[in-house]
Amino acid sequence: MRGHGFLLANHVPGNSLVHRTPLWAKFLLVAACGAASFLMVDWRVSAAVFAAMCGLFLLSGAGLRRLLRALWLMAPVLLLIGLFQWWQLGAPTAARIVLNVLVCVVAASVLTATTPVQELLDGVAGLARPFRRFGADPERFALTIAIMLRSIPFIAGTFADVRDAARARGLERNPRALVLPVFISTVAYARQTGDALAARGLGEADANEASEAGER
Amino acid sequence: MIELKDVAVRVTVDGQDGPKTLLDGVALQLREQRIGVIGANGSGKSTLLRLLNGLVLPSSGSVLVDGSSTTERIRAVRSKVGFVFTDPLSQLVMPTGREDVELSLRRSVKNASERAARAEAVLARFGLLHLADQSIYELSGGERQLLALAAVLAVEPSVLLLDEPSTLLDLRNRELLRRTLAGLEQQIVMSTHDLELALDMDRVLVVDDARIVFDGAPAAAVEHYRALCAASFEEAQQSREVQ
Repeated sequence: MRGHGFLLANHVPGNSLVHRTPLWAKFLLVAACGAASFLMVDWRVSAAVFAAMCGLFLLSGAGLRRLLRALWLMAPVLLLIGLFQWWQLGAPTAARIVLNVLVCVVAASVLTATTPVQELLDGVAGLARPFRRFGADPERFALTIAIMLRSIPFIAGTFADVRDAARARGLERNPRALVLPVFISTVAYARQTGDALAARGLGEADANEASEAGER
Repeated sequence: MIELKDVAVRVTVDGQDGPKTLLDGVALQLREQRIGVIGANGSGKSTLLRLLNGLVLPSSGSVLVDGSSTTERIRAVRSKVGFVFTDPLSQLVMPTGREDVELSLRRSVKNASERAARAEAVLARFGLLHLADQSIYELSGGERQLLALAAVLAVEPSVLLLDEPSTLLDLRNRELLRRTLAGLEQQIVMSTHDLELALDMDRVLVVDDARIVFDGAPAAAVEHYRALCAASFEEAQQSREVQ
C-alpha cells in the first residue's frame, strides 16, 4: 500500500516554546478550540483565531509544508461543506464553519507535532486514571488513542488505493466501486489490528485481573 | 515446552450445514529450538500457529505453553509467546518504529525514560536505530518485518511464532530475516512456503487438509510435501481430462 498522508502532523522533534509547553496546556488549547468552534459566530473572529493557530504551528518549527499538507488533505471535504453552506446559509456562515473546522485541525496538529506519541499516551492514561475506581483501565484509553492515530491514515490510504484501482478499471464514477472495497478493507484492517494487539498482549486486563481470571 | 493434546478446530460457516474443520487430531510436543510448518494455502498452517498464542482457541483438546493453558491463562501464555504476522503493516500500530517498540513495553516498563532507553536498545540490537523516527510507510518491506520482529522481541518472549514471515520479502530481505532468526535464542515455530527456510529448521511439520501428515526431519518433510503437491497436481489434471 502507498504511503499515507496524515490529517494531523506527526511529531517533529524540537525545543521550541510550544514543545516545552506542558501537555495539559496543549490539551486545554485543543479543548478550547473545539469549544470555541461552537461559540464563534463571526467569520472574522474565526479567521483571526485560525491565523493565530497557524502562527503557533509555525512557531513550533514544524514548518509551512507540514501545515499546508494537513490543510490540503482537508480541502476536498471542506470545499464540499463550504459550497453546501454557502448555498444554504450564505457566504459569511460558510466561511465561519470552514474556518472553525480548520482551527480545530491546526490546534490538534500543534499538539501532535510538538508532543511525542508516548507522552501523549501517558497523558491520556493519566487523565483516565481517576476512572480506575469504576473498573476502567487507563492503558486501554491510551491504546484507543494510539489506534485512532494509526487508523486515520490507513483508511485515507486505502481510499486512495481503491480510487486508483477503480480508475484503472474505468469505474471512477461508480460510488459502489469506491465505497464497498474501502468498507471491506477497513473491517479487515480492524480485525487484523485486533489480532495483532491481542497477539502482543496489548489491551488486555492487568496482570492481577488476568491471573484472578485464570484461577477461576 | 508447547504441548497440543488431541486438538481440533472447527468453525461454523454461513451456508454450510455442518462446521468446517480447520484442524483435526493434532497431538504434538514441541521441544526443538527451530520448528517449521509447511503446507498448501488453506491447509491449516496459520490456524496451528494461532493456536499456540491463543489467537485461535481449540474446539476440543487443549494447548499448553509451559503448563499454562491457552483457554485459561491467556495472558501468561502471551507473555511467553510472541507472534509475527505475514504483513508487518497489519502488526505495527504506531506511526514510527520507536513509538511502536515503546508501545510494546508500556505494560512492562512504567517509567517513561526507562521505556525509551529500553526501546532504543532493542532498535540498536536489530540495526534499526537510524530508522527509528521514520514513518513505517517509508521503510522497505524487510525493514518493516525486522521492526515488527523487534517490537515483539522487546518484551522478551521465550517462544516466537512467525506466520509466513518471508512471503512479502525480496531475496535480499529474506536473507536478512534468515540471518536474524538464526541469531535468536528464542524457540521458533514458523510457517512458511519458503522450502529453503524450512530446511534450516530442526523439525518440520507438514500440514495437509487440516491434519499433520508428516512430522520429522526437514529434508524428509520437504520431500513429503513435494510428493503431496505432485500428487494433487496430477489428480487435478486427471479430473480435468475426465471432464
